[in-house]
Amino acid sequence: MADWDEIKRLAADFQKVQLSSSTQRLSERNCIEIVTWLIQRKMVDLIFTSDGKEYMTPAHLILIFTSDGKEYMTPAHLINDIRGELYVNGGRVNLVELAKIIGVDLSHINAHLNDVLKGHKDIHSVLGQLVDSTYITKIAGEINEKLQQQGQININDLTLQYDLPADFVQQHVVEKNLGKLIFGKQDKKDPRIFFTETFIARTKAKIRGALIGLTKPTPITVILSHADVSERLFFSLFDQCCSYGSLTSRLVGAQYVPNIYTRSQNEWVNNFYKQNGYLEFDALNRLGISDYKTYLKKLFANDDTILLKSCVISKNILDRAEADIEECINSKSYLDLQNNLPSVFNEQDIQIITETILNTKKLRETIVIENYILSKAFLETLIVDCSKKLEENANKVVENGKYQHYQTDLQILNLKTQKMRICQKKLKLTSGRREEKKQLVVRVVEVHKEEKRKQNQPRNIIEVGKHNIEEIFEQIQEKLEEEGLDMLIDSIANYLHPILNEKDITTELLNYIAAEENMNTVTDNFTNEQRLKFVNDLSQTYKNAFSTLTKTLSGQNVEEFLNSIDDALATCSMILKKIDKKKDRIVILNHKHSLLEQLDKCDDPALALHLTSLILFVSATQNMLHASGRHVSSILVFLKQFLPPEQAEELSSYHEFVTLMLGGGSEAENAKERLKEKLPIIKTIATEFKKINPEKS
Amino acid sequence: MVDEGTRKTLSNIPLLTTKAGPRDKELWIQRLKEEYQSLIKYVQNNKSADNDWFRLESNKEGTKWFGKCWYIHDLLKYEFAVEFDIPVTYPVTAPEIALPELDGKTAKMYRGGKICLSDHFKPLWARNVPKFGIGHAMALGLGPWLAVEIPDLISKGVVSYKEKANS
Repeated sequence: MADWDEIKRLAADFQKVQLSSSTQRLSERNCIEIVTWLIQRKMVDLIFTSDGKEYMTPAHLILIFTSDGKEYMTPAHLINDIRGELYVNGGRVNLVELAKIIGVDLSHINAHLNDVLKGHKDIHSVLGQLVDSTYITKIAGEINEKLQQQGQININDLTLQYDLPADFVQQHVVEKNLGKLIFGKQDKKDPRIFFTETFIARTKAKIRGALIGLTKPTPITVILSHADVSERLFFSLFDQCCSYGSLTSRLVGAQYVPNIYTRSQNEWVNNFYKQNGYLEFDALNRLGISDYKTYLKKLFANDDTILLKSCVISKNILDRAEADIEECINSKSYLDLQNNLPSVFNEQDIQIITETILNTKKLRETIVIENYILSKAFLETLIVDCSKKLEENANKVVENGKYQHYQTDLQILNLKTQKMRICQKKLKLTSGRREEKKQLVVRVVEVHKEEKRKQNQPRNIIEVGKHNIEEIFEQIQEKLEEEGLDMLIDSIANYLHPILNEKDITTELLNYIAAEENMNTVTDNFTNEQRLKFVNDLSQTYKNAFSTLTKTLSGQNVEEFLNSIDDALATCSMILKKIDKKKDRIVILNHKHSLLEQLDKCDDPALALHLTSLILFVSATQNMLHASGRHVSSILVFLKQFLPPEQAEELSSYHEFVTLMLGGGSEAENAKERLKEKLPIIKTIATEFKKINPEKS
Repeated sequence: MVDEGTRKTLSNIPLLTTKAGPRDKELWIQRLKEEYQSLIKYVQNNKSADNDWFRLESNKEGTKWFGKCWYIHDLLKYEFAVEFDIPVTYPVTAPEIALPELDGKTAKMYRGGKICLSDHFKPLWARNVPKFGIGHAMALGLGPWLAVEIPDLISKGVVSYKEKANS
């Protein structure tokens, strides 16, 4: 049976399987125990490892267990293995990897590392790795290739790429093969950098190109980014390849300043300075010279210069200015420094200049006002001119009665001062619009006029005024003789008012309007015709009111004037202030009191009578009166109506005695005695009258 | 249930497909062929795992099996003869493995040295008819029995080490 044959075969196979492998298995299984036992007893003669191939002599009794404990090897074999693996792995192998590949503990490999290295100088142990010369040669070739490609190579990059310590790469790989396998140069400043000649040449060319192209100061960083050159390289090559400019420093933030720029800058500065004799600091700043002080010091080391607030000037300018001033002194005129010096100088500069120029001698001969220098001599001439003018003016003022108006018309003064204030305000506003320069000149002249006026005017006016008043009173007296006493007050008023107030007030108003309307006319000295013409030229708003006003000026009636001035003021949006009776009364009272005081102290009978008559007049009429002694008799006649008959009698007899006394002659002595007796009576009349008076007035 | 090692061993023994007993003639041959193939694989597995523990051979018809089995305890190898017949109702009935040497020395044994199998064996076998064969019977029956009984017998002094020139 074929099937049974098959069974037989299978049975035989079964037996074979059961028998064949069993012996071997047995021996391998016990191998570990046997070897251990042998090692313990130190009885080993011949030992075979698990694969039965390796033998060892008793001399190499030290065995190394593989990690799985199934294999044993001698140190020599291990060393051999390590070298073999190193070769297989292309000349570089990690010790940990080695331990895994060979199958022994890492400690065994470390322990036998020295044996591996012994006698083999081409093998290096680096950072837990074994590297031999073939590998070094290989990477040296690679490095060279890279160097030729990139032109520059850094050890640091290599250490990263090859995962080897920098020192090793430096000493054993690159420096050893420099010139043999690696063709390049070592950077003298940084031994870690290597580069090729072509690279250096290329970079130099790049830098040179960039630097030549620049015409203005440029930050290094910008150059670097444009030229794509490393900062370190730039600085090391800069000196070799550049004579076209300079660096402000050796730092990254430095600036490259091309020579051409410096040159043109210096040229400009020199030219400007030579031409103009000064240099503005602003201009230097605009040129990019921020540290102008040291720059100027360098530039004008030999020149004689003077530093001002905003610029530097040459001696020439100073000389010129000095000459100008001298000339101004000699020619007795004034000098505007602002005009004579370059326009860039500010006031502080000019101040410095004047301070330096004006020595004590010159100071004595000049006066400095802002930018103007006036010679004293010029001032003198001005003063002379002014005083002439002043006298004229003063005379005119007195002649046309302005001074009397000023003295007597206190009531209206109130109104005037107020109006003046408004006028001044308006004037100031309008004056602001005028040309500044012109104003300045006017102001300077005015300042001096005023100065002069202050000194001279009061006296002049007072003198002229006194003189004038006497004249006026003479005229008044003449009139007085023709007309009655009753007309005294009215005639004085009539006489004074048109001359003083009306014209004056009208003139003020016209002045105000002129200012308001921006007309450049000064109406002070207008004649009647001029005034009329001016009024006719005014706009419709003013015209009506003012034409009537000017008409009243020529008339003699005060009432008319007062009526028309209300209208005129209304057009100028002003209000006439009501007469302040209280204030008037106080003024009058004060006047009376001063008269009473004088009377009290008075011993002279004639003067006493004069004062008494004045006091009585004031008390009776509530108006002030200034009169000379000559008018006493007429005043007494006027006063008769206010006085009780006895007192009037008393006064007239007293007056007679006074005239007798003053007349001199035989009865003078007698009269004097009588007067002395009567003096107290007169005085009491004067003082007591005040008390009776209020009921009457 | 059987232990983890046994289970692993068992899973590595090839399963059989033919359901036939000694009296089934042609089919028995087929069955016997499968038995041998299975056993060869099992022994090979054992050898490769360094776990060889028996020798078996059969008569020409494959109905009677005999051989040796051994157990290593305390570095000593205890060896016993093993024999069994294939029952007529095989494979529904499992073979009764016997160790004649130990007859009467332990309670875990029937007359004639047939070993008492664990409670699990029979239901497990019944569930796996006809997939289990002789190899399974050895691995599942005799192996665990030896591992449990021999150390016990040695410690009782019932079985002692015989100096024997083997292998």
